[in-house]
Amino acid sequence: MKKSEAEILREYGPFPGADHVHGVTFDGRNVWFASGDKINALDPESGSTVRSIDVAAHAGTAFDGKHLFQIAEDRIQKIDPDTGRVLATIPAPGGGGDSGLAWAEGSLWVGQYRGRRIHQIDPETGTILRTIESKRVVTGVTWVDGELWHGTWEGDDSDLRHIDPETGAVLERIVMPSGTGVSGLESDGGERFFCGGGVSGTIRAVRRPKKHAP
Amino acid sequence: MDSLITAAGQALAAGDLLGALKRVALRDDPPALALRGIAMAQLGDLGRAKTLLKAAARGFGPKEAVARARCIVAEAEIAIVSRDLSWPTKALDTARATLEAHGDTLNSAHARNLGARRLLLLGRLDEAEHLLAGVDPSRLTPPARATHELVVAGIAVRRLQTGAAASAFARASEAAQATSIAALIAEVEGAAAILKTPAARLLSRGDERLLLLEDVETLLASGALVIDACRNIIRCEASAVPLASRPVLFALTRTLGEAWPGDVSRRTLLARAFGAKHVDESHRARLRVEIGRLRDELRAFANISATSDGFRLVPHGDHAVAVLAPPVDERHAAVLALLGDGEAWSSSALAIALSLSPRTVQRALEELSSEGKALPVGRGRARRWVIPPVPTFPTILLLPGPLPSD
Repeated sequence: MKKSEAEILREYGPFPGADHVHGVTFDGRNVWFASGDKINALDPESGSTVRSIDVAAHAGTAFDGKHLFQIAEDRIQKIDPDTGRVLATIPAPGGGGDSGLAWAEGSLWVGQYRGRRIHQIDPETGTILRTIESKRVVTGVTWVDGELWHGTWEGDDSDLRHIDPETGAVLERIVMPSGTGVSGLESDGGERFFCGGGVSGTIRAVRRPKKHAP
Repeated sequence: MDSLITAAGQALAAGDLLGALKRVALRDDPPALALRGIAMAQLGDLGRAKTLLKAAARGFGPKEAVARARCIVAEAEIAIVSRDLSWPTKALDTARATLEAHGDTLNSAHARNLGARRLLLLGRLDEAEHLLAGVDPSRLTPPARATHELVVAGIAVRRLQTGAAASAFARASEAAQATSIAALIAEVEGAAAILKTPAARLLSRGDERLLLLEDVETLLASGALVIDACRNIIRCEASAVPLASRPVLFALTRTLGEAWPGDVSRRTLLARAFGAKHVDESHRARLRVEIGRLRDELRAFANISATSDGFRLVPHGDHAVAVLAPPVDERHAAVLALLGDGEAWSSSALAIALSLSPRTVQRALEELSSEGKALPVGRGRARRWVIPPVPTFPTILLLPGPLPSD
């Protein structure tokens, strides 16, 4: 297993009217983050929020190329980012103990916080297709270049983990500085991870390690 | 944090207690237990709240020290509200240190407030003030600032610094108004009323009148020889002679003080100090001995001169003499003073706060109860005592604890 220290490229926020950052996602241009009673779009270049949608937003956020998915209480809402309308709702697999959310390969991937596992579910019905056990509290979840990454956060310790989606084995760890928590995780498909900072109300851009030959 | 905990926490912060409970009612993981405990405490079910918070604190893992510390602070708050003064304060100190080490300034300030409130109830003013000195009130949220200023005001009141108390009450009121929490606004108003309530009676030259706390402060600063029957202490300027453990000497002083500048007959002194109905030679001898002891005690302030009929108090210099008595002469006044805060007290908490034996407090409570002045609630170990809801008993001067010169 490869282990490295996180290199924080930039810190965004705290944002007015949003004292917590729960989930984060990226739509190719803006970073969307959940702040309790709304989801907000942040322009990662200027560092300012460009718009927001009033919708319950208590945990993970994801983007499938067209829709936003947002966990609220014990369900997952499918939201049209243009109109802000909730198009559909499916039950969340953790029954409300859900934390991170990611989209990949036609499935939603949901981190179950204290359950210490990740569920792959059908985005239409919410049916659980597969469950990956992690040994750590799962916060954010993301897929990038065929790699499954998730955040962990226990007390002062937090890291980003690249895991084997079949076995759950940890392949690589990026350790965050002590006291810097990761509540949500998303990659921009390039060299950056966006990490929600929970109660700090901030989002941090962390450098993604260069992909190494298998 | 997970989704439902976030949602329930949001509901709790918005005052939607049932909404918070609904979301976590069926969950038994530590964060859910903690949320349920806080909601139950706010709904007034302190027993249930205590159990839930204890279970939550136990359930958090070693990495979750901050979450556990917050549960312990909440537990401590319940203990203080329910006047459980035997609750382990070491746990609160440890929790506070953990919160401070992790930069949780708001909760660590809350922990300091709670510790200071407990010390205030016990009359340990210097320690309470020392604890509060570590808090910067401008960095607190309005509710925390209001409770902080209430403790500051409580310390000032007990020290008879009415000016400082009034400004602390004003700051508390301002902070409470900013929260728009009705219960907190009412609590501040109720506490501030102490400055407008008679705190003592002044007996001087045969005259009697009620004094506000600030009048008491003025009197003590006036240089008069004050015979303080609220605490059984004789004061003059910066010095004080405590006679709390010598009731006969205090009764003699008070009787002499009430008659000042006149003298008091031996018969009256014997009746007041010893309860003697018939005076014989042995009583006279005993009176001589006690007056001799009292002369020694009061040497710094006054002399006691013999007159043809009895004795007279003669203060040194041109000090006037004033007797300060409780607003109502009452046995067990100190117990009533504590019950006067309107909370339900256990007899053991009263004993701790008054430094009396549990048996003494128990006897006092039974007596007060037979006169309808205290009401028992509950049975056995859970029994608590309250005062019947009548006009508030003026309390402050009767509470234990030092005055400025102590």
